[in-house]
Amino acid sequence: MTDVSLLRHELRTPVNAVLGYSEMLLEDAPGHQGELETTIASAREILAAIDDRLSPTTIHFSRHDLEVLRDAMRPHQERILRAMNALRKTAEVADMTADLDRIESAAIRLLVVDLPDVADAPTLITDLPTMITDAPRVTRGVRAAGATTAAPFRILVVDDVADNRAVLERRLERDGHIVECAENGRVALERIRDHRFDLIVLDIMMPEVDGFEVLRRLKRSPDTHDIPVIMISALDDLESVVRCIEEGAEDHLTKPFEPVLLRARINASLDKKRLRDRERAYLGEVKAIAAAASAVEEGRYESASLARTALRSDELGRLARVFDGMAAKVKAREGRLRRQVAGLREEIDAVRRRADVTDAGDVRLPIGHILADRYEIELLVGVGAMGTVYRAHDQELTDTVALKVLRPELLSDRTVLERFKAEVRLARRISHPSVVRTHDFGESDGVHYLTMEYVEGLTARALLDNRGRLGVAAVLALAGQLTHALVAAHAQGVIHRDIKPQNLLLDGQGSLKVMDFGVSRLAGHAGGTGDAGLLIGTPDYMAPEQLLGEDIDERADLYATGVVLFECLTGQLPFHADTLVAKIAKVLGEDPPSLSAFDGIPQALATLITRLLARQRETRPASAQELLQLLDQVGS
Amino acid sequence: MTRILLVEDNEMNRDMLSRRLQKRGFDVTIAVDGREGIDKALADPYDLILMDISLPEIDGCTATRELRSAPQTAQTPIIALTAHAMAGDRERALEAGCNDYDTKPIELDRLLGKIQALLKPPL
Repeated sequence: MTDVSLLRHELRTPVNAVLGYSEMLLEDAPGHQGELETTIASAREILAAIDDRLSPTTIHFSRHDLEVLRDAMRPHQERILRAMNALRKTAEVADMTADLDRIESAAIRLLVVDLPDVADAPTLITDLPTMITDAPRVTRGVRAAGATTAAPFRILVVDDVADNRAVLERRLERDGHIVECAENGRVALERIRDHRFDLIVLDIMMPEVDGFEVLRRLKRSPDTHDIPVIMISALDDLESVVRCIEEGAEDHLTKPFEPVLLRARINASLDKKRLRDRERAYLGEVKAIAAAASAVEEGRYESASLARTALRSDELGRLARVFDGMAAKVKAREGRLRRQVAGLREEIDAVRRRADVTDAGDVRLPIGHILADRYEIELLVGVGAMGTVYRAHDQELTDTVALKVLRPELLSDRTVLERFKAEVRLARRISHPSVVRTHDFGESDGVHYLTMEYVEGLTARALLDNRGRLGVAAVLALAGQLTHALVAAHAQGVIHRDIKPQNLLLDGQGSLKVMDFGVSRLAGHAGGTGDAGLLIGTPDYMAPEQLLGEDIDERADLYATGVVLFECLTGQLPFHADTLVAKIAKVLGEDPPSLSAFDGIPQALATLITRLLARQRETRPASAQELLQLLDQVGS
Repeated sequence: MTRILLVEDNEMNRDMLSRRLQKRGFDVTIAVDGREGIDKALADPYDLILMDISLPEIDGCTATRELRSAPQTAQTPIIALTAHAMAGDRERALEAGCNDYDTKPIELDRLLGKIQALLKPPL
């Protein structure tokens, strides 16, 4: 939107409100046809004036142009305000008050839409921001006689002498203000209770409730505390002036008034009030943003609770809009993740209900055996290519750990052992909720073992074997957590090298933990890059460059992730063949099959997995971090 | 009762239009910006959506496109409310998938005519 059209929009919007409310009132209260039709006709005149001087094709609009437009709108605006004033005086107005207020404030707002205060010289706006103030423009110093740019305001004149009231009322109305009168303090307090005033001109000497008492009551109530009060009296004694100021009056004037002085003081008081109001509104909205920030922290932020602040055209408005947008995104993302995890949890529960899912294997260490004077073997958890995993009790720290006894043939070579230790040192640095923590590496009586965080759960392998394939939400939840784990590991320079369902542990809450970071390094070194190495691991999840024994980087983990996701979604591997050699030939020579043959897989996810399975690593996402962003787009 | 979702950021326009529609027997739900409009439209079925085009953050056209791509709102009639001030709003609104548009200031009878035309079941 260009700034000229924004200005046009800002000008037309309040007129549209005047029109709409007036038409509505006309339907509700046909008795006031005269005033309302005047209002509607005036609003249409204003629209015509705007269209005339500021059409959709206008490119340049100067401060002078705006002044000319304002002058054209002003008589119509005043007609509207007079009509509202007349309506307020009628008897059945009570239920219309709120709408009359709206019409009035829209009509006033119309004249305060402003250009930026760039310079005194006429300013051409083409791409400068327009500034829309909530209140009439603040002008400083004494206004020229008869100036009405900031009018109208609602002013209450309180004086027990009818002539005094009449003189003040006439003067103030001539300056464009809306004036109401009260003949004594009691009536004044009633009026103030029922209506909103911008300023009160208050005589001191009155029967019943005098000016000082009215002032005291106004300043005591939080509702009226901020209305500026100018005290007037025939007495010019210093004591009463001091008393007025001490009790909270804005100013003091002595009768008879000098008209220029009266106008200057009234305008100064209104300016001060406006500044205070604006400052208070600003602070209130700063407070609203701070409250919204706490709400985000506590997870109870409601989108659009900053809607009002967001409408501001200043920096605060921008802050609110940006904040609200970010919070909405975070909330949407949180909801999405929660749904995905719920899906995964359902899958896991379904498997758990099917009783025993533990892998079976040879028991090498008897239950109850104490290894290295520290770890009591409690349960055989599983047997894999690298060794046998037990649940053990760490008597030193009185904690449950997973203890993996490594196959002795893997560690026959001293260099390999040193390299493996270096890898374990790196792996120990990875601290992430989705990575199984590596504790220690040790050797006791010729048995090499690793201790790790113990996770009660089952592997993604077991889940797949039982369920066949998983739902899209569950796969996305799994993919997100796996990728987060890879980001953390890659940041420490650790490549997993053997991402596969067997290494992905799922606890009952749907949280995934990747295990064996660094451990798979052994496979490559034990068997070199030849047949022996391949026999230990499985080639199903290995990237082509890994199969070829080339130097690999983090993108090999991304390839493996692609295979895992493919398998989770379809229940089958991308490449299968009867013999190992044929399988490897396929991985190296063929494109992965299309996922579009399978039902219910979103196109974006299918495309992403195909990219992860690219034979050329340059075609895959460059990093786990990038994959994370791509997954986020798929999930949204 | 016919359910209408009114997506409009301007407080006065929202208040005015919702009250006038309610008075004519429509069940009006309000959304104050594009995001809330999308969320509400996807959460509950509406017979018709009135969509202001100049909304902060997610504008009416973007919101309409998003609703058109969701199965539950792909067919819901959407009338764009365009500010006469913005040249090109109408074209963008129709292109985004709105069935019709009306220009502010809203003339209620004209808008009601458009609403009725879209609510009538096809013969």
